[in-house]
Parts: sequence; structure tokens; C-alpha cells
Amino acid sequence: MSGHGQGTAPATVKDRADLALNDEFLRKAVKFTTERLRAGKKNAAEDHGNWDDWRERGRQIRLHTIANLDYYLNLFADNARANGVHVHFADTAAEAVKLSLDIARHAQAKTVVKSKSMVTEELHLNQALATIGVEAIETDLGEYIIQLANETPSHIIIPAIHKNRYQIAELLSKEAGETLAPDTQILAGFVRKKLREKFLEADIGMTGCNFAIAETGSMVLFENEGNARMVTTVPKTQITLMGMERIIPSWEDLEVMATLLPRSATGQKLTVYMSGITGPKRAADADGPEEMHIVIVDNGRSLQLGDPEFQELLNCIRCGACLNACPVYRHIGGHAYGGTYSGPIGAVLTPALKKNVAEWDDIANASSLCGACYEACPVKIPLHEMLIYLRRRKVEAGEGKLLEGLGMKGFASIMKNAGRFKTVLKLGKLGQKLVARGGEIRLKAGPLKGWNSYRITPSLPKQSFRDKWKTLEEEIRHGLQELDPAAKARMEALVKEREQEGGGHGHG
Amino acid sequence: MADRTHTRTQSLLLSHQEWLAQLAEESLAKQKTFIDGISSKLRRPRAHTPPQHPYRGAPDFWRTFEWSEQERIERFTDHFKSAGGHVVRLSNMDAVKQFITEKATELSAKYIVRQNQQELDDLGLEKALPDARVSTWNSDAAEAWKARAAEADIGVVVADCAAAYTGSITVMSSKDKGRSVSLLPTVLLAIIPVERLKTRLGEVLIRFDEAGRENLPAGIHFISGPSRSADIENDLTIGVHGPGIVYALIVG
Amino acid sequence: MKVSLFITCLSDALFPRVGEAIVRLLAKRGVKVDFPPAQTCCGQPAFNSGYWNEARASAKTIIEAFEDSDFVISPSGSCTGMIQHYPKLFENDPVMHARAIGLQRKSYEFTQFLVNVLDVTDVGASFPYKVTYHPSCHGSRLLGVKDEPMALMQAVKGLEFVPLPFAEDCCGFGGTFAVKMADISGAMVTEKADHVKETEAQVLVGLDLACLMNIAGNLRYRGEPVRVMHLAELLYEGVAGA
Repeated sequence: MSGHGQGTAPATVKDRADLALNDEFLRKAVKFTTERLRAGKKNAAEDHGNWDDWRERGRQIRLHTIANLDYYLNLFADNARANGVHVHFADTAAEAVKLSLDIARHAQAKTVVKSKSMVTEELHLNQALATIGVEAIETDLGEYIIQLANETPSHIIIPAIHKNRYQIAELLSKEAGETLAPDTQILAGFVRKKLREKFLEADIGMTGCNFAIAETGSMVLFENEGNARMVTTVPKTQITLMGMERIIPSWEDLEVMATLLPRSATGQKLTVYMSGITGPKRAADADGPEEMHIVIVDNGRSLQLGDPEFQELLNCIRCGACLNACPVYRHIGGHAYGGTYSGPIGAVLTPALKKNVAEWDDIANASSLCGACYEACPVKIPLHEMLIYLRRRKVEAGEGKLLEGLGMKGFASIMKNAGRFKTVLKLGKLGQKLVARGGEIRLKAGPLKGWNSYRITPSLPKQSFRDKWKTLEEEIRHGLQELDPAAKARMEALVKEREQEGGGHGHG
Repeated sequence: MADRTHTRTQSLLLSHQEWLAQLAEESLAKQKTFIDGISSKLRRPRAHTPPQHPYRGAPDFWRTFEWSEQERIERFTDHFKSAGGHVVRLSNMDAVKQFITEKATELSAKYIVRQNQQELDDLGLEKALPDARVSTWNSDAAEAWKARAAEADIGVVVADCAAAYTGSITVMSSKDKGRSVSLLPTVLLAIIPVERLKTRLGEVLIRFDEAGRENLPAGIHFISGPSRSADIENDLTIGVHGPGIVYALIVG
Repeated sequence: MKVSLFITCLSDALFPRVGEAIVRLLAKRGVKVDFPPAQTCCGQPAFNSGYWNEARASAKTIIEAFEDSDFVISPSGSCTGMIQHYPKLFENDPVMHARAIGLQRKSYEFTQFLVNVLDVTDVGASFPYKVTYHPSCHGSRLLGVKDEPMALMQAVKGLEFVPLPFAEDCCGFGGTFAVKMADISGAMVTEKADHVKETEAQVLVGLDLACLMNIAGNLRYRGEPVRVMHLAELLYEGVAGA
């Protein structure tokens, strides 16, 4: 598989992952790109210095804004309106789509040029526009490529990560009506020329929004190609779709976001373009949109508010660093996640936005909980913990698998009693006599089937540690050395310190 | 707009202004329920006064960070070049004029579009480049300015600010300063008076807070090199949509 | 002062020699280790799978087993890391919550205790082999155990350290993940073992037996002769042979 056409993917993460795992090109391409981005981010963070202080600052700004989102979003809406923007609110995807289509109809639009926007992916807005006869053209190079292939983005930052230049040349040749060589310059040159025409003739420019500045009602876009600038400069009407949580209070706060976002995404000091748009063109200006709409979209975001385990999800600045850090993403690629957002953030965000318990477990299980996502996150979202919370909520809602539930009950009954644990070990030693040879188990059946397809399992030794303990303790007692007085003093001090502090945090 | 399609649409729909007014009314009503919904999910009454924001902006240690002019020039140059841009250090506007004239001749530029700024008027490019058509942004209300910029080989702008740490040029839009001039031509020449070159991005950004909403231009753009993409097999491509060749001319 | 060994179920059942190495190494430093037999598993499999009631049962057993210990030492960053989650498990039970914090504060991964509490980096070991190191995710990310094993290895005579490429990448174990998502896990452990092979090291060490069992299992499956050991085993073998 090299990505999937819309709506044709297998139903479970596992099946989609299996397809991806068997696609050698996809795995290599994703691995190569994520490793490059990961190294870029690491260098950029080290080069900038004090990275953890900046992360902490970014986190605090996002925490503060989300904790006061009613104030800041209201302020943003009032200011944007004062700037001459038509501001709209949409509780659901359907409402956001309806508003966008209404605007397109009233603009008598034939074509819409779009810069990259994950929100519009979430809304499936392109398909909706097509139903009223409006052609939506993605103008980010990667997005344009996957649009021609009728696919969805598989990475937040590099949407066509899963396509090679030969596949791309084939797609673009079809569009060009002539054979284009699989050369990056030639292919990009064709797209530049082709999309230039589209920009100049489009009725509407449609964008997402990286940040919205509450105090001045401005919206900010980060990009490298210049297509977002095109989209906000050339067409008569601009429509911006923004998630309701994109807010930051001030331009000063933007410095922190501008420090974290490009470095985390691609390792750049700043993207080639960072644009702050404050309202439609002024009366005397000779370019810029005459009419500007901002649609503020909820679509499940507010469900995280007031939920102590998930509110921090709204801090996400969509940099993609967690995807690049994630070993699971690296092996299965974005489409295996089956939602608009992929990787660790997608594994949490997709089910959280839907609050759809039945769909949680499948996606949330595709993680080894290694915590690389948290370590990479520029605003320190504990995604690895959120994955566990998702799993727990599924179990609590009675959506767990029957067999697994029984297994866990059995586990608990064994593990709350050391005697039972000992009995189980004894039974294990008996049982393995059938399958263990030379200290190894190679059997590829039953519960060991998946595990032993890649590994050899050691068998249980004759004596467990607890079996050996009596003898060991005897031996130790005889040869015991004197404890270093300094170490002893340190240990006593630690114990005393704990007693004095009472509760509180661990020693770290 | 008096074509037949429009008349037909008009009979079906409200006039555009009426429709926008109706939307505005709906939006105001919806804003209240939408924001109230947020407050109630946050489990507290709606906040109407600005909350205390102790973490505003960059960490404290960063705010005092500043390079000398010489360092700013050096760092800007390094950063802009490593992003694929070109930097030229020029002593005065005469040298700028000479550089632009030579560059335009070298590139055989036929169309040049420039901002309507006094510094650029003073350069007298129109006379210095008799074989090229040099247009001044928005100098004639009847002209299709976006088309002029789109066909231009070279766009010339004077930067409003620059930040050395990120290697960024800042341009702001106005009646005389088109956003298109720094975007649509194949080559961009941006003049940076050295006193406008700051150390940190934050030094530039804070001015917009200080100016306040009413005084901001519609477009504020930070440009940190030529347009680029790595969307095809991570292979860096320059000049995807914006200018592929960008010169920063530091003057003074 | 009571220093107790939290053996962890994996070491108890499959790798008793690791617990033994820890006990003997500490004895040489004058620390008499005690083994409360009531201990079982930390509950992580249930916790990570979302079965928190079941995890609480395990956690309660562990909390009780070590109630009167002053220091609780384990050969696993992951299991010691699990103890860090105990307060969250009992957030609605003030009494158990306080006891969970008590255990959290006295729990140490083995190298943390050796280096940070006993202030020992040179145990007097000699181990003349080429060694690489896999920093397990929970130990390094959750507990922040990064410098301790490095310091210990540096002090071993004759040990030639080779850095593992992409060392910080997860080996693909992830508990029930390795069973539920066997093919993804398999791809991850294969990649990890490839990196181990690249180093041409004779020995791979780590601080978490689950991860080590995972990587060793793959290396064995592929017939690779790399020896896989817990750092405590390496140190003890190095002391015994020195």
C-alpha cells in the first residue's frame, strides 16, 4: 500500500498497519523523512539552547490561554470583527461546512485555492465544496500531490511523505498532458506554473490558522512555499477555518510559539514565511482580500475542557514532532491511524474529539508507551499517559474485550497474593516441559504466536529468585562488609528528609 | 457585476450586504452561547476581565539578549544565506542603486515592480534601467497591480524591520506597499537600512502589541529566504510559489 | 535501616541471577538487602491496558509488602517507574494515596541507588569486552536515569563502550503491545537488533529485563551471538572475575 484512497482502508489499526509493514517503500520513505526531521529538530533545539526553559514557557502560555479560553476567544472575535472580519462560530463539522458553502455560494465561486489546513481535512470540506460545483485546489506542493492521487495526508508537516518521485511524476504527467521527468525541479516547476494560473483566477482563498492573536484579532500562518501568502493576497474573498483553541494572547507570545513551532517541525529557525493578517485589505490597498471570513470551529475540541486528563490536548501546536519521534509511526506511517491526525497526537486526538468510546481502544493500543512523543513535544503534552487514560476509559465503559478482562481479573487475583504467584510459577515450569528445549521456547502457537514470530523465548529456570532466597541470604550474612559511614549518613539523612516533608513528590 | 448570472442569483438570495448583515447578527448571538459554553465546561462563570498572565512572551533571560551591530549583520548574513538567500552589504543608497541596476541588467529583467516608497523614488531606477519597465505599486488606480506583480521579473522593497537571530525581513502592507511585490516576482530585492536590523524576533513583534489593533496593517510578513519545499522525497526545491531568488541588501 | 529488593516478577521468574547479582554487589558495599516475600508484580500490565481496578490490587500488595522498608531497590526502571503512577491510581483514596507517595519516595532503580545514594561508580569490576547500551524508555524518560549507568560502565576496567545508534528508540516491547500489535512490535525489535549488530559489540547491556528479553529474543532468533545482560550482572561478573 502507498496510502489509501478515501474510504477504502481496512477497519482496524492492526490491519492497516499490516499493510504498511509489508510496503517496503513506504517504510523506508517514512523512516528516512522522520529521521531527517528528528535530527533537524534536535540540532535546532541544541543550537538555540535552554530548550527546556522554552518548552516550559510554551506550555505555560498554552495552559494559561486554554484555562481562560472564554475570555481570549471572545476578545479575539471582538477584535477580528472590529478589523472588518466576518467572524463565525461552528459547534460541529456540519455547521462549519454549511457556513463555508454559504460563503462560497454568495461569492459565486467556481474555484477555491487552499493552503494547508488540517481543520478542513477534519471537515472533509473539499468533498463538500465539490457537491455544490466548486473546485477546491490544494496549493501546498505535498497537498496538491495527494489531492491528485485522491488520498489524505499521512503526516501533518509532510503530507506526501509516502510518495516517491516516480509516483509523483506519473500523477503530474497526467495533469500536464505530457510526460514529466521524475526530477524534483521539473516537477515543482510544473506545479508552480500550473498553480500560478489557479491563484490568479480563483474566487476564494481558504486557509487554516496556526495562531490567532486575541489582543489584535490577527491570524498567523507559518509556511515555506509562499502558497499561504498567495491564498491570502490574490483572491477577492478569504475564508479561514480555525480550531477554537488556536488562540494566543499577544504578539509577544507569538515569539515563543515561533521559537518552538518551526524548530520542532522541520528544524528551521523560522519558516520562510510567517504572516500576520489583521483584517481584509484596507480600502486604499491594491491587494489582499476584499472580504475576509474566519470560521471558529469546535467539532469536539470543547469536550476536552474541564477534563483534567485531556484538557492539555488543546495545547497542541500541530508541529508533528511527536510523529517524527514515534517508533510506531515510523513503521506504519500515517494512514494506518485511520483518522485526520496521525501519530501519537492522532492516536489521542482522534478518539478524544469524537468521545467515541468504542473506537478508542484500537487506536490507543498502537503504542508501546515509550514516551518519545512527550519528550519531543514542544509544549510537553503527556500523550503517553493520555493513551493509558483512553484505554482505562474504554474498560470503564465496559468496552473492553471479554477475554482480556477475564485475563486481567485472573492477573489481579494472582498478583495480590504472593502464594498464588508462586503456584503459577510452579505450574509454568510444569507446563513448559512440553515446549522448552535447551532453555528456549520456539513454539509459534497460542499466546506465543505473535511474539515468537520474531523472537525466541527463554524458558523458566529451575529455581525462581524466591526459591533461591533462603540460601542466598545465608551466604550474604556471612560475608557482609562494613557500610561506608558517609553512605550510611546519606541514607539516614534521606529517610529523615522524607519524614519531615511528609507527602509530596519523589526524589526524581 | 450587472451580468445575468448575478441578477439571477440576486433574485434567489439576499443582496450581498444584506446577507453579510444577517450573518453578523447570527454570529453575535452565536458568540454568546459559544463562549458561555466554554465557561460552563471550564466550570466557572464567564471571565470578563483580563486574566493575570505571568508567562507572557519569552523567558526573562531572553529579553535582555542583544548583539552588537556588527554581530547582527554577521549573524543575519549567516542565517539568511544558510536558508538559501543572498546578502550584500552596501555602504549607501548610491551603492544600492548601482547593485540593483547591475543585477537587473545581468538577469535581463524586463519588468520590475517596486513599492511606492520615498527611498525607492530617490533611486531613480526608471532612468537607470531604460530597457526595463519599472512600475511603482498602486501609482495608478486603473492598473491591475496583482497582474503587474505576477509578471515582474524583479520586485524591490524596503524592509520595515529585520531580525538577525532568525534571519528574517519584515514587510508591512499599505496603500503604497503591496503584499504582492515581495511575493509574486521571480526575484526579490529587499533593502534593509542597517538601523532597522534588530537582534531578536521579539523586538519586532512587541511593536505590534504596542501599536495596538487599530494601527496594524492588513498584512505583516516575515520573510526568511527564498520560497522552498521538501515535499518531494525530501529533496529541497527553491522557488515553489514565492520568489526563488532573494537578496537582502543591508545598507548604511 | 531496611534496604529491600523489589525483585519484579520477570526477574523473579525468568532471571533470578539478576536479583542475585544485585544482592551480592550491595553486600560487598555493606548493604544487607532484605527480600519481603509478600511482593508480587507492580501491576503495570493491567495499568497500561486500562484495567486500573486490577492494577490497584497489585499496587496495594506491593505497597504493603514494602511498608516498613526504608529503601526499595529494583532491577527495572519500568517497574520503579510504575510505582511513580501509584499516587494517581489512588487519587480518590487519601489513605492509600499517602502510602503510595511514601513508597514512591523511597523507590530506586538499582543504578540510581548505587550511584546517587551510595555514591559508588567504581565497583572494582573488570570486563574486557566491547559493550553497547540500550537505555530503556521508562528508566531514561520517566525516571531520568541517564548518567548513572554511563558512570558505572566508564569505571569498569577493560570495558570498551560503543554507543548504540538511535539508542533512545523504543525496542518495541511495551508489555501487552508486543502481543496485541505483534507485527509492529516485531518490526521495532528487528530494527533495534539491527542497530545492536551495527555496533559490532559483543555484549548488550540495559537496565530493564523486559526490553533485554525482547531484544535478546530477536538476536537469538536471528542467530546473532551478541550476549545480552543486565548491567548488574555485568558488574557482578566483572567483580567476581577481577
